[in-house]
Amino acid sequence: VQGPRGGVGGGNDFQWCFSQVKGAIDEDVAEADIISTVEFNCSGELLATGDKGGRVVIFQREQESKNRLLSRGEYNVYSTFQSHEPEFDYLKSLEIEEKINKIRWLPQQNAAHFLLSANDKTIKLWKISERDKRAEGYNLKDEDGRLRDQFRITTLRVPVLMPMDLMVEASPRRIFANAHTYHINSISVNSDYETYLSADDLRINLWHLEITDRSFNIVDIKPANMEELTEVITAAECHPHQCNVFVYSSSKGTIRLCDMRAAALCDRHSKFFEEPEDPSSRSFFSEIISSISDVKFSHSGRYMMTRDYLSVKVWDLNMENRPVETYQVHEYLRSKLCSLYENDCIFDKFECCWNGSDSAIMTGSYNNFFRMFDRNTRRDITLEASRENSKPRAMLKPRKVCTGGKRKKDEISVDSLDFNKKILHTAWHPKENVIAVAATNNLYIFQDKIN
Amino acid sequence: MVAQGQKRKLHKEDERGGSAWESQLQSVLDISMDKFHRDQALMEPCLLRSVLINNTLRQVQSEVRTQVESLSAVKSPTKLKPEPDFTQLSPPAEHNAPLLSPNAENIEDTFMAWTSEEDFSLSSAISGILKDLDAVIDAGQGPCASQRAPLSSVENLTPCPLRTERTSDMASSVKTELMCPQDVALDKLLLDIDTAVFEPEVNLLQGFSVTTEDLVKYLPSLSKSPSASSSSSLVSHCQATWEIQEIEHVMDILMRTYPQS
Repeated sequence: VQGPRGGVGGGNDFQWCFSQVKGAIDEDVAEADIISTVEFNCSGELLATGDKGGRVVIFQREQESKNRLLSRGEYNVYSTFQSHEPEFDYLKSLEIEEKINKIRWLPQQNAAHFLLSANDKTIKLWKISERDKRAEGYNLKDEDGRLRDQFRITTLRVPVLMPMDLMVEASPRRIFANAHTYHINSISVNSDYETYLSADDLRINLWHLEITDRSFNIVDIKPANMEELTEVITAAECHPHQCNVFVYSSSKGTIRLCDMRAAALCDRHSKFFEEPEDPSSRSFFSEIISSISDVKFSHSGRYMMTRDYLSVKVWDLNMENRPVETYQVHEYLRSKLCSLYENDCIFDKFECCWNGSDSAIMTGSYNNFFRMFDRNTRRDITLEASRENSKPRAMLKPRKVCTGGKRKKDEISVDSLDFNKKILHTAWHPKENVIAVAATNNLYIFQDKIN
Repeated sequence: MVAQGQKRKLHKEDERGGSAWESQLQSVLDISMDKFHRDQALMEPCLLRSVLINNTLRQVQSEVRTQVESLSAVKSPTKLKPEPDFTQLSPPAEHNAPLLSPNAENIEDTFMAWTSEEDFSLSSAISGILKDLDAVIDAGQGPCASQRAPLSSVENLTPCPLRTERTSDMASSVKTELMCPQDVALDKLLLDIDTAVFEPEVNLLQGFSVTTEDLVKYLPSLSKSPSASSSSSLVSHCQATWEIQEIEHVMDILMRTYPQS
C-alpha cells in the first residue's frame, strides 16, 4: 500500500499537531459519555465513536478548504443516534449493558454508509443516508401529510423533487440477536463483504449480513465441564484479503489462525502463535499480563499485531514460534504489577492500530499518554492527549516517564501517573496521517503537520 | 501509588521461602480472594476476569504446595497443628506473623495448615465460581428452551448455535449452586427421604417443572431428622411449618438462579 512517508520522532518524521477535541470539558465525567470504541471508515471520510450510553456519533471530514493550507479538513458531527438500549434478560435476571463494544464499517457500495455496532449481546447493522431533497406536490395529500379533500382534486400532477436542508438519517437495517451467551468482544467484516464474524468469551459465530435469524458457530472452546475452563477468547479478526482465514487471541497469550475451508467447525487451528515464556521474568502475574487484549492484521495481510498488558508484538503469519517485533509500551509498570492487580488496572484492555502503510503502530497507555512505534527506524514516541496542549495546530511535545533516579525537568515519575486516565481506544486514518485518540469522554484528533 | 511488595523472580533453583516472596504470595492470595468474593456477589461477573483470577489462585496454591513439599523434604515430618477451620477461605491476618518468622518449623507448620485449608477451600472455591457462572450464564440455553415457564420472556429462543448442550447438567449445575462443601455428605442422606410429604408444595408452582427428586436434594437441613421409613408427615406441626419455610426459601433461590426448567 502506497502511503504517506514519514516516521516517528524527529527528523524526517511525523510532527503531530493538535487538530480538534470533541466532548465535554467538565471535570465530572458522566459515565454514559465514556467513549468505548473509535473507528474510521474505509476512506477516512467518516469517524465513528461509540460510548457507554449506547450512542454512536459519526463525524465527517469537511472538504479541504483552499484557505487553510496547513491543516486538512476538520471533522464535524454528521450523525448521532442511539444504537443500543439497556435491556433486561428476564430469563437470567440480568441487565444487558448498552455500552457499544465495537463499531466496524462496511465498505461503501452506494451513496449510503453502513456500519455494524455491537454491545455485549446484540449486533446491529445501521444505514446512514443523506436526504437533501423531498418530493412536493403530491396528489392525495398536502404538505402536512393530511389527506386532501377529494373534491378539491381537479388535476393530476407529478410530484417534484425540491431541495431541502441536508438531513442525515440513521436507521437499523438488521438486528443480529440471541446468538451469544457470553459477552461479545469483537466483530469483524469479512473481505467477501457478505459475511462477518462475532466473538464472545467462548464462541465465534459467522453471520451473513442479510440473514439475522441464524448464524454459524465456527469456534467453540467451552469445556463440557466449566470447572475446567482456564482460557477464554479475547479478540478475533478476519484476514483483510483471504476471506477463509481469521484469527482469534486468548487470555493465555496465544493466537490461533483458522481456515474455514478446513472444517465447518474451526476448533482445530491451522496455525498456533505463541512466544515461549521467559523463565527469568516469571511472576504470579505472568499469565494475566500475557492475556491479549487486541489483535489486528496489517493492511498488507502479511503481519498481525497483538497487544498484551505491557507490550505490542508484531507477528509474521509465516512464523508461529515467536513475534518478529516486540515493542515495550510501559515497561516501568512491571514492578508495580501487584498494585495494578489490586486496583484492577491490570485487567484494562488496550487496543492497537496500524497506520495506512503498516510502517507505524500506535497504542494507548495511562495518564492520557499514547505511544507510537516506527517499525523501520525502531524509534518510538510518547504523546499526551490533554486539554493543555490543545491550541489549534500546536505541535505535541514528546513526553517521558522517569523510571528511577533523578527526575529531569518535564519528565513525570511513575508514581505520579494518573491511572484513571487511560487511553484504550485509538484509530489511524487509513490513508493519511490523522489519528483519533479517545481519552475517557473526549475524542482528540491529531494531524501530521507535513503535507 | 505505592508498590506492594517487591516482585521477586521465581527461579526454581533459588532458595524459596524468602520473606519478600512470602509477602507477595500473601498479597496475591489476599487480593485474589477478595476479588473472588466480590465477583461472587455480582450477578454476572466478567468471565475473562474470573478465569484470570482463578488461574492466579491456582498458581498460588501450587506454589504453596511446592514450597511445603520442598520444606518437608528438608525436614522430617513433625507434629502438625490441629486441623484448621474449613469455613475460612483465606488465612487470618495473624498468619502473617508466623509466615515471616525465621523459624523453619513454624513456617512449615503454618504452610501445612494453610495448604490443607487452602487446598480444600481454594479448589472448592474455584469449582464453585465456575459452576456458578455456568449455572447463571447457561441456565437459559439448549433443549430446555422448549420447557420454559409460561411467563418467561420470548428472548433467547432462536435455535441455539451451541454444539455441546447438556440436558442432565441443568439439575446438577443448580445442585452445586446451592450446596456448600459441608453439605456434600448430606446429599446421600436426602435420597432416602420420603418425597410424598413435599407433593403439595411442588404442585403449587405452576409451570415450575423441577422434579420432586431434584427438590428433595436441595433441602439439606431436613436430613437432620430423617424419618425415612415413615410414610406420614414428619413429626410435629412446628417442624412442618419450618419445612415449609425451608422449601420456600429454597424455591426463592431456585427461582432466582434457575428461573426456567
